Amino acid sequence: MYKVLSRITIIAILCLFSLANKSIAADSTFTNHVDIDLSRMSATMVYSIVYQMVTEPKKFVGKRIKMKGAFSSYYDEAVDRRFYGCVIKDALACCSQGLAFETFKPRKYPKDFPSEGSPITIIGRFDYEKEEDGIGFPIIRNAIFIK
Amino acid sequence: MFDQLLFYLDFPFVRYAIIVGTLISLCSSLLGVTLVLKRYSYIGGGLSHVAFGALAIASVLKVTNNMFIILPVTIIVAVLLLCGGKDARIKGDAAIAMVSAGALAIGYLIMNIFSASANVAGDVCTTLFGSMSILTLKSTDVYLCVALSIVVLLTFVLFYHKIFAITFDENFARATGVNVNLFNLLIAIIIAVIIVLAMNLVGALLVSALVVFPALSAMRVFKSFFSVTIAAAIISVVCSLAGILVAILAGTPVGSTIVAMDIAAFLICYITNFIRSRRI
Repeated sequence: MYKVLSRITIIAILCLFSLANKSIAADSTFTNHVDIDLSRMSATMVYSIVYQMVTEPKKFVGKRIKMKGAFSSYYDEAVDRRFYGCVIKDALACCSQGLAFETFKPRKYPKDFPSEGSPITIIGRFDYEKEEDGIGFPIIRNAIFIK
Repeated sequence: MFDQLLFYLDFPFVRYAIIVGTLISLCSSLLGVTLVLKRYSYIGGGLSHVAFGALAIASVLKVTNNMFIILPVTIIVAVLLLCGGKDARIKGDAAIAMVSAGALAIGYLIMNIFSASANVAGDVCTTLFGSMSILTLKSTDVYLCVALSIVVLLTFVLFYHKIFAITFDENFARATGVNVNLFNLLIAIIIAVIIVLAMNLVGALLVSALVVFPALSAMRVFKSFFSVTIAAAIISVVCSLAGILVAILAGTPVGSTIVAMDIAAFLICYITNFIRSRRI
């Protein structure tokens, strides 16, 4: 009886684990599924789409974005917060475009982040963060680094 | 590559760029023939610098639609330059050079002193070289461009014979009853409109190329005004479309890629003419 019960318990645990695994896999936060893959586009297209994201963010809210660029960060003393960005540089360095991102798991800066300017590829969900003064900025939430 | 192109065409701003690019290149090439023949080839550059200066003022004033300032200012300067005629104290190329450099300097000065943006270098770079302006158009910009292009094309078609007469001999045109001053004014206004529109496509510094290259290329191969005008229009549209598509696929700056296509077309026409003249 004990053996049967223990087997049933093990099977039930395995089933639960399998279901949980499936549901995790179905949640796009944990997958590499993307709606807009900027990493496969030409520099001209990336610049244009990022421009659209910055100027008309509402069209892109909720979409999974994959982006390749240079890592950048800066500390805003006014709000006591460090911002992280994925920047796409241009040849003249005057028309760079980029998006802020927020990592899926909390990380410590600078130890858990790449060095400034190093190439990164991230996947995350596009969002628009509104500030207290009503002005907001686009941000990629739950971002994960892709090698 | 074809699949990639089809994928890019799904984005509305790519389709907008193709529509606007085609219309602007068509309009600029039509008037380009007249300007080259009237020896006003560099007026495109001069007026585009004026438009840059006006854009700087519009940015500082935070005008909702900067066209309300850019268009009138450019039209006024175009009228002064083209309709000043023989009575003007500062004539021809001297007036264009003065206006061109002056407007550019004042525009940059205003942008620096009264900066309305955190990225002045980026704004200046985008305006001067067009960078990606053509790929950042909104639907309202496209409608405005379509409307202005229709006006320009209709004006050119309806007054083709009068523009032809004024282009070659103003005195003869006047003798045959053509109101030369009125049509010079009309040409000046149309040119100003084209220049302002073309700034979106190739930027202020490269507008001259859009006006001059197709006309000069067509003149290498064809001899009559009509055939040169038609050939210039075809060359201009083909080069602009090719330039936009190459820029999108290869990731190069749109304005300079279009001008590179125009240079290639000019070289082809030049070589064609050279071979043809050697055979004769």
